[in-house]
Amino acid sequence: MRSHNAHPNSRRTFLRGLGVTMALPWMESLSVWGDENAKPESQAPVRLAVLFAGNGFHSTEWRAKGTGKQMELGQVLAPLTDFRERMLFIRGLYNAEALKGNIHSSQTGNLLSGSPLANGGRIRSGTSFDQLVAQQYGPSTKVPSLVLGCERSVPGIHKNYSLLYSSHISWSSPNCPTPLELYPALAFDRLFKDDAEKGDKSVLDAVITEGKRFRRDISSTDRRKLDEYLNSVREVERRIERAGKNGELQGWRPTLDKPNIPRPADGVPQNIAEHMRLMCDILVLAFQTDATRVCTLKLNNDISYLRFPHLGIDVGHHSLSHQNNADYLKVNQFFVEQLGYIARKLDAIQEGERTALDNSMLMFCSSMLTGGHDATQLPVVLLGGGGGQIHGGRVLDYRDKPNRKMCSLYLSLLDKYGIHLKEFGDSNQRLAEV
Amino acid sequence: MHIQRTLMCFAVGVLFGPVIMVGDEPASFDKLGAEYKQDVRPLLKRFCLECHSSEQKKGELDLQKFTTLAEVRRRTKAWLRVAEMLDNGEMPPKDSVQPSLKQRKELRGWVERYLHAEALASAGDPGPVVLRRLNNAEYTYTIRDLTGVELDPTREFPIDGAAGEGFTNTGDALVMSPALSRKYLHAGKEIARHAVLLPDGFRSSPYATRREWTDEILAQIRTLYGEFVESVDLGNGRAVGYINGHVDTRLGHAGRLPLEKYFAATLAQRDAVTTGGKTIEAVARERGLNARYLGTLWSSLTGSKPSLLLDGLRARWRRAKPQDAAALAADVTTWQRGLWSFNPIGLKGRKGSRSQWLEPVNPMVTKQELRFKIPATKDGEEPKEFVISLVATDAGDGNEHDFVVWRQPRLVAEGKPDILLRDWVSADGKAIDAASVCVRAPAVITIRIPADLAGRELVTAAALEPKTAGEGSVQADVVAGTPETKPGLLPSEVTVKFSQVTQVFSDHRNVSISRPIIVAEKSAARAAFESAMNAHRSLFPAALCYTQIVPVDELHTTTLFYREDSHLARLMLDDAQKSRLNRLWRELRFVSQSALIRVDVLEDLLTGMRGNAQYAGIEPLRGPVNQAAVTFRKELAAAEPRQVDALVDFANRAYRRPLTDVEASELRGLYRQLREQDLPHDEAFRLTLARVFVSTPFLFRLEKTPGGNAAAPVSDWELASRLSYFLWSSQPDEEPRALAADRTLHTPEMLAKQARRMLTDARVRRLASEFACQWLDIYGFAENVEKSEEVFPEFARLRREMYEEPVRFFEDMFRNDGSILDVLNADHALLSESLAKHYDIDGVSGPEWRRVTGVRRQGRGGVLGMASILAKQSGAARTSPILRGNWVFETLLGERLPKPPASVPDLPDSVPTGLTARQLIERHSTEPECAKCHARIDPYGFALEQYDAIGRLRESEADTKTKLVDGKTIEGIEGLREYLLKDRRHDFVRQFCRKLLGYSLGREVQLSDEPLLEEMQQKLAAGGYRVGTAVETIVLSKQFRMIRGKKRP
Repeated sequence: MRSHNAHPNSRRTFLRGLGVTMALPWMESLSVWGDENAKPESQAPVRLAVLFAGNGFHSTEWRAKGTGKQMELGQVLAPLTDFRERMLFIRGLYNAEALKGNIHSSQTGNLLSGSPLANGGRIRSGTSFDQLVAQQYGPSTKVPSLVLGCERSVPGIHKNYSLLYSSHISWSSPNCPTPLELYPALAFDRLFKDDAEKGDKSVLDAVITEGKRFRRDISSTDRRKLDEYLNSVREVERRIERAGKNGELQGWRPTLDKPNIPRPADGVPQNIAEHMRLMCDILVLAFQTDATRVCTLKLNNDISYLRFPHLGIDVGHHSLSHQNNADYLKVNQFFVEQLGYIARKLDAIQEGERTALDNSMLMFCSSMLTGGHDATQLPVVLLGGGGGQIHGGRVLDYRDKPNRKMCSLYLSLLDKYGIHLKEFGDSNQRLAEV
Repeated sequence: MHIQRTLMCFAVGVLFGPVIMVGDEPASFDKLGAEYKQDVRPLLKRFCLECHSSEQKKGELDLQKFTTLAEVRRRTKAWLRVAEMLDNGEMPPKDSVQPSLKQRKELRGWVERYLHAEALASAGDPGPVVLRRLNNAEYTYTIRDLTGVELDPTREFPIDGAAGEGFTNTGDALVMSPALSRKYLHAGKEIARHAVLLPDGFRSSPYATRREWTDEILAQIRTLYGEFVESVDLGNGRAVGYINGHVDTRLGHAGRLPLEKYFAATLAQRDAVTTGGKTIEAVARERGLNARYLGTLWSSLTGSKPSLLLDGLRARWRRAKPQDAAALAADVTTWQRGLWSFNPIGLKGRKGSRSQWLEPVNPMVTKQELRFKIPATKDGEEPKEFVISLVATDAGDGNEHDFVVWRQPRLVAEGKPDILLRDWVSADGKAIDAASVCVRAPAVITIRIPADLAGRELVTAAALEPKTAGEGSVQADVVAGTPETKPGLLPSEVTVKFSQVTQVFSDHRNVSISRPIIVAEKSAARAAFESAMNAHRSLFPAALCYTQIVPVDELHTTTLFYREDSHLARLMLDDAQKSRLNRLWRELRFVSQSALIRVDVLEDLLTGMRGNAQYAGIEPLRGPVNQAAVTFRKELAAAEPRQVDALVDFANRAYRRPLTDVEASELRGLYRQLREQDLPHDEAFRLTLARVFVSTPFLFRLEKTPGGNAAAPVSDWELASRLSYFLWSSQPDEEPRALAADRTLHTPEMLAKQARRMLTDARVRRLASEFACQWLDIYGFAENVEKSEEVFPEFARLRREMYEEPVRFFEDMFRNDGSILDVLNADHALLSESLAKHYDIDGVSGPEWRRVTGVRRQGRGGVLGMASILAKQSGAARTSPILRGNWVFETLLGERLPKPPASVPDLPDSVPTGLTARQLIERHSTEPECAKCHARIDPYGFALEQYDAIGRLRESEADTKTKLVDGKTIEGIEGLREYLLKDRRHDFVRQFCRKLLGYSLGREVQLSDEPLLEEMQQKLAAGGYRVGTAVETIVLSKQFRMIRGKKRP
């Protein structure tokens, strides 16, 4: 998917890829890049957020049945009671590649891509579906995507698979996990600080000119690695070139043009609840200001060492996940509350006739159903209207169906962003019900 | 036994175990090929291809495509897996047709022979090393070594991933993204902000503002001064006689001679030095004194040239005992008050201001006015007669010519006629005229003043009698009562006052002197005194330097920095110190840009003063100040090209090789380009510098790939980096750079010598943390937050020290060429006080870390007893024998378990009452499916159960007796240690070698490394397991010195 970075789609190629443009009115905000005759639209873009919670959930309390207001939720999902009519509870999907490796990190690094994971000291996954969306629509916003985390990643290798896989579900390319921002203040700065300075472009130019010279003297593997860097530098350069042009946006405008919360304090908050809350606030703010339309929030690592003294639970998350007790349930709920919190905030933002929640897709997931590493069916909740494309209040159970790939879900979701792929990961089918 | 052992090792998944005996003659590939076709292929067909066909590819293994040996040789790795699966019994699956024992042996035997042959055939292959970016640690260390400043530029970078053998220095894991490259740009710019531009180049500073750089240099100058003087606060104006009428204006600090120490030294060592038993230099060294000054003082005190001021001091010194040093120093200080004055210099250069801060004063006059107020009678008191005396003394130089005239002593009172005192004179003197009296000193004229004259003032003047006393010298005074007179010189005292002090500065300066010496102008007597005073001042300046540097002596100062240290230079500094001091002062002026700031300061002051009478006094400063600014600007401009040159020089170091001409000219080109974009020099310079930090040759360890398919040696420069990044996680230092420039680094002797040298350097601490701590899975433990604060409130306080212990342990091992077996079996530990306390080890107190021996009997020594490791492999609140056991199994022994069953049963974090952690686990592990693996790992953990979850010894005895999977029974840490050291030494040493090799090469160890691993193990065993042997073997290996060809198939 590198090509997405190196050669930004013009509106024309983009529309060709779309086929039918009517379905996606919000893309008008892209008009600044191409077709001057395009009519400015008045509708907001559809945002995508993926929230991840590691180590799975309580084995009996992750459940839902019924429809609409009558939907009955298991205790883990209790914080979503108010949103029953706006959510899809999806059960029975799995990721075939995740069953091939070992446990934990090899179940996680490909959660959003369905790609095979390299082991034995190498690192390779696949471009994740959220990053595909980011690469397609990133050029319209200040940052292409926001990839946030609330737990520091751990270097090292676990059972023959790098722990990078445990801490990264977003991958910009098969070789490159999208770096996780752990610091609320730095995430905030990425969104709102204009950091391009005079002379930066010349510096980056010089780096690229010089870097290119080494290409011929090195092996092809090394050249790929070098190009990874030079392309990254070029991407930074492009963003600098574009900085300041956002004012030319026509048509739909975000309801907020600068942050309405103060810049968070430097450093990582000591209290995990506060850390998560800040990250959720930043996510909402990013969507509200249209600083980005894609955000992945990794609430913890797979094999997580987070503890929850504020809940009176002083046991590491991973260890807790193997206990499956009342404390674990409480911690599960605490994670789901974050989703509820984001949904509530987005729902309070009116964007024309719809709320920002109506204009978003929030996906909540883990890489295993329970603490016992069971990845034969993955927990998924989809919340929000997806700009009128998702009809909530339903439980979709794929357990007995032949087509039950996570990647089928991603193909369906990508469709809603006008990214129509023949296949993705291990699937070439859609989930019709989504 | 050999077979048994082989199977066991493979059974648990060691990729290529000790089966490959390097010494054995390998089978020929022809023979292997024939066997493959004839025997092996049919076996595969029969037992494997049903699943592992090109169609099915189960487990992503296609065995069908291996039609010939040539195919086999193309994908050796698959055959390592085949061996692994055969050995651990996973394949063929239980429910499939099983080969007979003979068939199994035949297949396995062939695979073994093949791998052995392949290992030897490809031995020394440099392997696939992916281009490496500097990881966060390497980037940080390289920046620190480059700049010499402890910056922490990667603090907010994403954590690096690990790959290869599990280290963060592996190209595969060092990923890149726009977000990260943006962070590199920012980090580069941030580092460049720490560059301090100097007249001849630049250096780096921990600080990033001009203010702080200035303070930094000021502190350096003061530190230099401080090596020689005592900085004494002169107090405020009042304390030293109203130098400035603003009582609260501080005069700031003076660098005084620490006289007492010097006197003490001369007194204590007087005999030793006199008899030649000890040199002055030795005394100075012992006492931390300046030898030059001590020598000067010594020769002055022992000198015989008469001196009016020093003779007395010499006499007292000869009589003095060691405890009299303070009294001698006080003598000197008393005289200093008469021979020196301090001036305000905050407005130096204004009209009427003095040019120096410390100024000599000669307390000599031709005539002295004297006044004495007779106390008035208080109300209700009986009026009393009052006695005063006019005292004339001989000023210590005999009285041959000392005829002094008391002129018209009289009592005055306001509004009343003066009363001359001649009627009451009763002395030996004879009257000169009606009102004055002449005496020969020493002489006292005592006068009784009748009670009714109380409250009047006695006024007189003392002068030499012009005819007889042209060469006289006296001191005169009026005192109450009848004093005894002694011959000798009395100390004078200078007082400076200002007639007026305005809101801006002190005005006319009035100097008064008590007890001056009355001598005639141009007399020989005066010359003698002057010479004596000069001698005193030369030896005992009231201050050696102005340690204040930033004047605070006026309300408004325009002198930003003031330098006065000539006495220090003259008396104490050697040439090197002088030039260092000069350089610092030059830097201070350059870096602070004080010449430019002064312009503004002065203009502000003048603006505020407009219309004020004192404006005219200050205004003349404008010309010189502006001129100085013009000169300074020229100096700045002249420095610019030198700074750019220095930047290019710097880039040579940053690139870890000489820049090519193109690179150098591009760098200069960027600077020019930025200047053309109207960026000022400072910014253009910093951006160009930042560019060096984001450039590919800095950020990546680029190595030229040879054309063709053969491996070739890397260049000497590349080799220097390989060496330094292996041992120091940073750039090469001066020695290997010089050798690389000479192209002599690659010779085995030189390479080994450099490796040995680098191992003894303090920077090898980084190898300890980067290699050892990553290997042992405790990397970053200092920030560990995994422990329950409720159960282990002390953990947060201790974790840094817990982490420091293994770092110091391995640093010590590397630097002292220790045995790698110490990792298991050391009888020493490196401990701090709190860690020792944590370990219940007595006798360690004080802040410093130290090596403590005999710790084995206290349950410590080696990594098994380290809190960091015991805690890391535990839960938040309880121990985990499984984790600890698995750690011994995987990390120390290099074994691997098959994948755990699909759903792992739950396990509570807190141990239920009535159970121990061990019992809990044992219960858990009885499930047959689980027991298979747990039986292999848990026992190691049980042996360590005496240690709690933060590595303390439990108070009550734990059950640490356990039976290992091979049937052996061990107990406690001693048992485990013994077992690892004796029964598993081979596996442990191999694992250490494997990890060290993987770390050094930045890739996974592969089959072709097998002979090298074998060589390392043999050399280690033969040489007492010294870690340097392992390092040297690696460094000299082909793998380390060579690189694969571009066209290698």
